[in-house]
Amino acid sequence: MSNRHLGRVARFAVLATAGFVVATPAGADVLKIGMVNSLTGPHSSFDLPASEGAEMAFDELNKRGGITVKGKKYTFSVVSEDAQSKPEFAVSGAQRLLRDDDIKIVFGILTSGPGVPAATLFAKNDILYFGGFTLMDTLLGKPGFDLAFRTLDADAVVAKSFIPVGVKQLGVKKVGILLPNEDVSRSIVAVYKPLLEQAGIAVPMVEYFQPDTSDFGPVLRKFQNQEMDGLLTGTNDAVVEAIVRQSTELGGLPKKFLYRGGSGAPGIKYAKQIDSFIWQILTRDLEHGDDPKVAEWVQRYKTFTHKDTSPNTYWGLTFYDTVFMMAKAMEEVGSVTDLKAIAAKIKSMKYDGVRLMRYDNDGRANSDIDIGILTDGKISSVRASPE
Amino acid sequence: MWIDVAQTVFDGLMVGGLYATVAVGITLVFGIMGVLNFAHGQMVMLGAYVAFFAVTAGLGFWVGLLLAMAAMGLFGLILERLIFRHTLTDHMTGLTVSLGIIMVVENLAAAVFTPDHRNFDPPLSGSVQLLGITLSAQRLLVLVLVMGLVGAFYLFLQKTSFGKAIRATGQNRTGAALVGVQITQITALVFVLGSAMAGAAGALYGSLFAITPYMASGPLMKGFILTVLGGLGSVPGAVLAGFLLGLAESFGSRYFSAAFNDGYGFILMIITLLFFPTGLFGVRGKARV
Repeated sequence: MSNRHLGRVARFAVLATAGFVVATPAGADVLKIGMVNSLTGPHSSFDLPASEGAEMAFDELNKRGGITVKGKKYTFSVVSEDAQSKPEFAVSGAQRLLRDDDIKIVFGILTSGPGVPAATLFAKNDILYFGGFTLMDTLLGKPGFDLAFRTLDADAVVAKSFIPVGVKQLGVKKVGILLPNEDVSRSIVAVYKPLLEQAGIAVPMVEYFQPDTSDFGPVLRKFQNQEMDGLLTGTNDAVVEAIVRQSTELGGLPKKFLYRGGSGAPGIKYAKQIDSFIWQILTRDLEHGDDPKVAEWVQRYKTFTHKDTSPNTYWGLTFYDTVFMMAKAMEEVGSVTDLKAIAAKIKSMKYDGVRLMRYDNDGRANSDIDIGILTDGKISSVRASPE
Repeated sequence: MWIDVAQTVFDGLMVGGLYATVAVGITLVFGIMGVLNFAHGQMVMLGAYVAFFAVTAGLGFWVGLLLAMAAMGLFGLILERLIFRHTLTDHMTGLTVSLGIIMVVENLAAAVFTPDHRNFDPPLSGSVQLLGITLSAQRLLVLVLVMGLVGAFYLFLQKTSFGKAIRATGQNRTGAALVGVQITQITALVFVLGSAMAGAAGALYGSLFAITPYMASGPLMKGFILTVLGGLGSVPGAVLAGFLLGLAESFGSRYFSAAFNDGYGFILMIITLLFFPTGLFGVRGKARV
């Protein structure tokens, strides 16, 4: 067995363990792309579809014949690591990717706990890194993070459309905020509370709960009988489902919910017991929208993954369009190794893919989003632009 | 104001009752066998899953509760027969083995059930009004059931011949053997009962809160706090400590910070041990069952 064939067998084995095989046509040089995502653990509901979407994009690129840079053909192969929803495993996964000198570009991680240490490590090693987690906004623009991108809009951008839509659709006048006691929650409050107050909504109470809380009874009682008609909460489906469920059990609590993060599933499950539920779809509404590009993407996703969509599948669009932006940037700058030039080119692009993607000079995404709305048992969505 | 306090008391008693149901099993096993069984929390988790699958299969909550108790009782018997019986003379080995069981069971559960959060519909939904207090119907049911379980367990220990044999073994193993108590049967029964209580706690827990393979650590940690707080080997102590812990957490989260929820239990434990060094009902050198 030749060395080249052995290399292909080894590559197939690595990709197969990641779950999918990205097509790699023969005859082209192969660019290795690293991915570190929480494929298991509580954050996998975000990261697993995101990694699937990225792999799907690379597969589509390869099936088109890859990219051509200065007359030379290149295709992509993906090396995937599992962060297991824990910072220490995100770091060890990142370190394994860094040990491969061929990997200079990495995608992955949508949650801040594993994301911050991994992103910091990638920055120190001059890796072109595309992440999705919230606290990445605190890193971008700082020295050493010139090659970092956050592919999801910052809270500051999302909230500017989410709050006006939420206030209008829910008709709330007085809202409480209930979030887990984490750094990301404090940044959420710093963004959302002023916007609510600017919209004329009173926010008399902000409470934080211990992140592994399962019994929300005592903390929900703080909001009981306070004449609040809305509750802004987050930051993942499991927690919010528990909050919604227990608030309906306890009584005397707001029945209108604004959900920062996750999917509409928590509200939809208890649709009969609550008045309304509004949530952020940071990419595209895959179920209730009427965008033909989205519908086509969904079909391709089902074909690639052999799975049906779920409420969290929309995270599959986290990196999808950015993969194509990166590929186009490589072709336009005429290099697959000049990471600074590739990054600069991405920042100058406006890409109309499934999402309409732009990045600012610090690498922050500036994209339109969809907002899911559940009111009177009916589900719909609206598209909201940061402008 | 008093309505708010009453609601907070109710919440505390409910969750404290769940803790007490878990702690009873831990302290009983320790009192009789001298084994600190860290795997007890896994039985709470597995009991919750048994109830979940029973309910989703259409068997209903009550069948799920009974199945959870029976399944965990059987699991406890298997563990006692295959593992803990052989560690009776070396408690450190028993403790270490129980730590290993945690790893095996938790990872198996994650692999088989996946880490996704699960919920099942409880038998009661919504809230009820009682003397002007708004109470969750299912939480009220859980409180009634844990009181019933703990009460029944206490009566079993006090009034039945098996219960007396368990208490005798806890007080003096040799003496109990001399008067004809079958020690091996009693240790097996203790494991079965403790595990069944954990299974019941799991089913009740699952009727209120999310079920995951990783949910065992919370109840287990609380269970051990209660075992120390109540006095090692003291069942009445564990029960009282359970309710006290629930009240401490409920009032702490309600009137201070919910972000410090677990800390209230440790503060309670420290203060109690300062005044009662062997726990609320602990007697130095003896197990009180």
